[in-house]
Amino acid sequence: MRIANTVTIFLLLLVASQAFAQQKLQGTVTDQVRQKGLSGVSVQISGTQAGTVTDINGRFSFNVPTAAASKTLTIVFTAVGYQPQERKIEPSQQSASLDIILEEDLVKLDEVVVTGQGMSVSKRRLSTNVTSISEAQLRDLPANRIDQLLQSQIPNAQFKMSAGQAGATSIVQTRGFNSAFSNSTPIVYVDGVRVDNLNTAPALGMTLSGGISQGASTSALSDIPVENIEKIEFINGGAATTLYGSDAANGVLQIFTKKRGSGKANFRAGVDLGLETPTNDFLYFNRTKDLLFENGGYRKYSIGADGGNNDFGFSMAAAYSKSDGVLIHNQNQVEKIDFRTGFHAKLLDQLTYESSFTYNNQNLRRTRNGNSGGYSGLWFAEDGASKITGPGFNPKLDSLSDADFAKVKAFVDSAEMLMNNTSKVNRFQTSQVLKLQPLKNLVFKGTFGVDYRTQTEVSVVSNAFNRHIRSNTTGSLSKYDRNYLGLTLELTGQYDATVGDFSFLTTGGAQLFRNQDHQIAYIGQDIRDGALTVNQAATRTSNEYLAEVVNSGLFLQENVGYKNRYYLDLGVRGDNNSAFGKLIGTQYYPKFGVSYILSAEPFFQKWQQNFIKTVKVRANYGVAGIFPTPFANERTIAFTGFNGGQSATFGQPGNEELKPEKSYSKEIGLDLGLWNSRVSLTVNYFDNETRDALFVVPPAASTGQTNTLKNIGLITNKGWEFSAVVSVLENKDWDVRVRASANTVDNLVVSTGGAPSFNLNGMTSRTVQTVVKEGFPVGYISGNYGVFKDGVLESYTPQQFLGSTIPTLTGSAGLNVRYKNLSMFANADYQQGGYLHNWDKQFRINYGASTDGVPAAEIAKNGATNWLNYSQLFVEKSDFIKIRTVGLVYNFDKKIIGKHIKQMSVGITAVNPLNFTASSSDPEAVMAGGAQGQGSATTGGLNYAAFSMPRQFIGTLKINF
Amino acid sequence: MKNISKILCAAGLAVLASCQLKDVDNPNITDESFVGTTQSSSIWLNGMYRQLALTLNEVVSFTEITSDNYYNNSSLSNKVFDFPTILYSDLDVDNMQRAIGRLTQMADYGLTRIVPADVTTTKDINAEINFLGGYACLLSGELYNALPLTAAGQVASANECFQKAVAYFNAAIALQTDAAKKNGYTLALARAYYGMANRTNALQAAQTIIANAPMLLVEAKFDGINGVSNTMQTYTFSSSTNTYAPLPRLDFLDPKYYHVGTANADQKSIAILKGEEAYLIAAEAMIGSGQLDNARTTLKQLISTVVNNRPTASINGSQAQRKGNRSDYPLLASVQVKFDANSPARPGFILGRQAGNITVRRVSGTSVMAADLDAATTEDALLYQLCLMRQEIFMSEGRRMTDLGIRFPISQVEMQNNPNVKAEQTQAVIPSYIPGNLGMDNFGYDRTAGIVTMNFDMNRVLVQNKKAAGVLPMLK
Repeated sequence: MRIANTVTIFLLLLVASQAFAQQKLQGTVTDQVRQKGLSGVSVQISGTQAGTVTDINGRFSFNVPTAAASKTLTIVFTAVGYQPQERKIEPSQQSASLDIILEEDLVKLDEVVVTGQGMSVSKRRLSTNVTSISEAQLRDLPANRIDQLLQSQIPNAQFKMSAGQAGATSIVQTRGFNSAFSNSTPIVYVDGVRVDNLNTAPALGMTLSGGISQGASTSALSDIPVENIEKIEFINGGAATTLYGSDAANGVLQIFTKKRGSGKANFRAGVDLGLETPTNDFLYFNRTKDLLFENGGYRKYSIGADGGNNDFGFSMAAAYSKSDGVLIHNQNQVEKIDFRTGFHAKLLDQLTYESSFTYNNQNLRRTRNGNSGGYSGLWFAEDGASKITGPGFNPKLDSLSDADFAKVKAFVDSAEMLMNNTSKVNRFQTSQVLKLQPLKNLVFKGTFGVDYRTQTEVSVVSNAFNRHIRSNTTGSLSKYDRNYLGLTLELTGQYDATVGDFSFLTTGGAQLFRNQDHQIAYIGQDIRDGALTVNQAATRTSNEYLAEVVNSGLFLQENVGYKNRYYLDLGVRGDNNSAFGKLIGTQYYPKFGVSYILSAEPFFQKWQQNFIKTVKVRANYGVAGIFPTPFANERTIAFTGFNGGQSATFGQPGNEELKPEKSYSKEIGLDLGLWNSRVSLTVNYFDNETRDALFVVPPAASTGQTNTLKNIGLITNKGWEFSAVVSVLENKDWDVRVRASANTVDNLVVSTGGAPSFNLNGMTSRTVQTVVKEGFPVGYISGNYGVFKDGVLESYTPQQFLGSTIPTLTGSAGLNVRYKNLSMFANADYQQGGYLHNWDKQFRINYGASTDGVPAAEIAKNGATNWLNYSQLFVEKSDFIKIRTVGLVYNFDKKIIGKHIKQMSVGITAVNPLNFTASSSDPEAVMAGGAQGQGSATTGGLNYAAFSMPRQFIGTLKINF
Repeated sequence: MKNISKILCAAGLAVLASCQLKDVDNPNITDESFVGTTQSSSIWLNGMYRQLALTLNEVVSFTEITSDNYYNNSSLSNKVFDFPTILYSDLDVDNMQRAIGRLTQMADYGLTRIVPADVTTTKDINAEINFLGGYACLLSGELYNALPLTAAGQVASANECFQKAVAYFNAAIALQTDAAKKNGYTLALARAYYGMANRTNALQAAQTIIANAPMLLVEAKFDGINGVSNTMQTYTFSSSTNTYAPLPRLDFLDPKYYHVGTANADQKSIAILKGEEAYLIAAEAMIGSGQLDNARTTLKQLISTVVNNRPTASINGSQAQRKGNRSDYPLLASVQVKFDANSPARPGFILGRQAGNITVRRVSGTSVMAADLDAATTEDALLYQLCLMRQEIFMSEGRRMTDLGIRFPISQVEMQNNPNVKAEQTQAVIPSYIPGNLGMDNFGYDRTAGIVTMNFDMNRVLVQNKKAAGVLPMLK
């Protein structure tokens, strides 16, 4: 304790000593076009840790360190989306006010990025593509989840919300699907700390025996707070993520939070109020919406504050939100509390400290859907299962008399009311960063951080519910805890040297991360209705699963520049990981890249034209990996209790040669700034090859062994990526900007290493699955293909290719228009070339709810007997164009809001207003998980009793004061 | 510079601390650390009992719908075995083979690795492991025409499977000290010889049981609390969708397994060997030898001595409303049943489950009475009664499919991993006399007359095809 006090006093003295006798540097940063102050601009003395950020009006002021006061200083002004600016200040000018005008930069050639580089690097030097999204770009979007927020924002990443269930997972597609083993979600870092992205399926019954995840896989992305974000960077898997090693083949998404403001405390507050209404576009029966859905309310209240000087800064934000959901009896309600703080402190002239803390509390409710069994609303109504559920009804809902429909409605109302499934998340994250700059050209950064996420799912199946759905089982209470603890430790150093025309940027570092996934199930059977603790049950059972993995890596990167236009990028990472087999040593991930900025050539600059302003050509080769399941490398004996004693059997077969699957990526790219830099165009061609792909393969049945994880596959993804931003009109009053992207992908499982085909999701092979098989894309739809003669089924062939679930073309588009203080924005996503299977439609045949899609002659002759034998009739194109958001925002003039309020805006946004689809079911609302899927890889494509994302109409008021 | 030194010291400490975070402990037990430990063989044996239950879950639930006993009236479980359509690519074909393979391999591993290394093992444990290994081989011979008995090894014929079963059972008999257990092994021997069509040995072993242990009952136990529920119980009683529906003429025998109170805590056992079988084997062997009177007497003894003395229970079966793909199952006790279009309408086969508690037969039940046997004066007539009794007595125990002559194929995954498997061994055996397209499960229901008529009386079909391969082995 005494030591702690001494350290605290020492630090305070240090801070205090810096505050004396210093020159104050101040000024304003404004946007060139809008001629308004720019907030959040980083202002820093080059080669030191001294600096600040601009306040809401673009003003800044900070003390020049005593040691620097007598020197000529270079002040660097940087902001995401703007061309950086350097200003040399003579000692005599230090007291003058600086007026800096920043120019927007669509090409972002000189933007400084961090993700994938160990430390800060100017994009100019990079051979890979980094997408950065500024706070301004996200500010007006009312989305409350990070993945939903990013929809349409990253040109070459598609975020599809897999279901409208609260907290349901998203499916991310970037450059195809590299893995048939692991979920395609990129790894996520918050302020340099690796956080849970829940890309492994739960090992206990959460998906199998009535746990509510069965309704929809739960996403850890849904509870990362969206408050206080400064910027987000995204890099694709491959050369860009090589420095992340065994964990980054699907790309890296890094969120940077605000650590400080400028000057005295600035406060902000916001209120979002809105209406949520169900997306009924894809319902088959008109009356389903009357059975299951209703409108709900949405509200979010947020507050925040920031401030600081060059020695100390802070930023905090807190929000409470509640969405009633669109299901009756509020069965999809979500309630969230987010809290985030950031601090920045200069401890010494050479040493700064930054930290962020985040807390999230999320409570959500889930209804049963899809394969939950017994009763689930959509299965009951849309799939015809009303025929067999409860007292049994005529499943043709729209043909029922009003009196009969009233009976169905009363049954459903009670069934929905009697459901009680909840999920609670408590999540705590912190990042602690120390940055040391002992020399002008040498920087060290030490990062330490924790992500601790606890999730408790509770599924109450009451006696009343069981009786209602005609089940003779007793009431049960199932609880599942899933606790994730992630530790990240990273030490990085960067040395910057210039020798003649050459510049060298040397980055080296070490990283260690450690994850623990601890799952506990505690289940009570035969319990009184209303008893909500397991101890009150007649029989109690429990189960536990523990997985731990440690990855330690060293990396080294050398970026060599020549004459500010030729760059060579070399790097390697070596990883050891506890999940690797005994015989596998360190795994190495090399990268190599070149970039050439043609427009920096003297001849180009002398060329008097405004059409082509920037030309950058780049090419790279790099490797990134995905590590195997922890402990799958060891051969074990499995133990469990059986009739009062221990019982043993074969556990996992083990694999001493287990290693990461590695994605080898080749990429060439072109970045262009055209039409006086009002058009930015990026083109990439990528060719990725996942070698040693991890497949969970079944050994011969006669071995009696369970499936084994082996490195035997080869998967390729190739494609083109185009993205463009066009500033159509730009002046003080008007700003019209359009952006669009198009990405193609050609995905192929080149080899399964002789292993038989296996399924990712779906039911059994007799029905419909998404399958991995040599010579086909990952996760294609497999099922029975029927041959008809005169409209009657003549024969069928099982397990046929019925369509690829992976769209061959994806992209997004956005429009931003500003007229004076009024802004309008619209964002959309689209995809083409994929297929889905409409299992709801097929199920309706089985239950006689409809004969749509099947030749009349077949129904007349065989009724529904062959319903599983012509699955191709239910495969539809999954093409869509979906408008994600359309919004209007008005910023009030200062003269209206008065001097006490710095800024005020009102807005209205429609979320998910319009869907244009080729299919009769929602291409995004897919069956969650699947009883027999391996790992948790999914490509979607099976549509089965899943809810669509609701529409929202949200009004927003934001005030800064 | 002083500060830099301090910072470097702190960084060095951080690096040292992080090195301590590099190790993880696997919370699971490896096979090397298990073999040779005390009690390892008894724990392994308990694991084999568990595997027996898991294997029966596959075997019983799949073969019951493949036969005429049950129709899968919901979308749960397999939807094509009913037709019957049995493709080697069907995941359930692999699941069933894998479950049997696991029991086989556990016996092998137990006898070669675990028992020799465990000083605490006993002869009785050794005997039981041999018995369960034999039972796995018995199932292999009954359910398949060909199956590898070693891991990805040579394919054994059904006869070779039975031979291996006989060797296991004889070893078990030699080791076992408990006379009651020995009786069980002897009945298992009778069943293996029955499969091999070895009339003399089958009859001899069967008569030993008739003489010494007519009420013999060896059961596989389940443990719902530990996640091993009886699937057949779930599908015939516990499931809210009443997954499986019995052929109306067998309605009075459904369910055999039920729970009272919490389903998990009350999972009924499945009989794997019972005294009834000794009588049925003996009677069939006698018919095969032309001793019709002896056979008739044996079957009458079976009813009076064994079946009538088996326990019954009174339970509430009102949730079984047979609402599913077919909702026209008869539900009233007043409904009469015709075994096929040419048979007379007979009462007593349908239980009025809504009218009050029903009586269930926990071990065995049959509609055949002494008078029916007395009336069966020809070989075929007696054979018909025998087939009907076998079907009714073994209801919900997974035996009927084999009796019908149907055999499962070797799975696709096995073929892809095992070069010994020939293409023809991946084809199911479905005899031509088996009506396809759900014919075995089909019936017509004349609600006005209150008569339900089966499309086919498969026992009549069996008698007509008694010479066919794979059925009625004691006649061969």
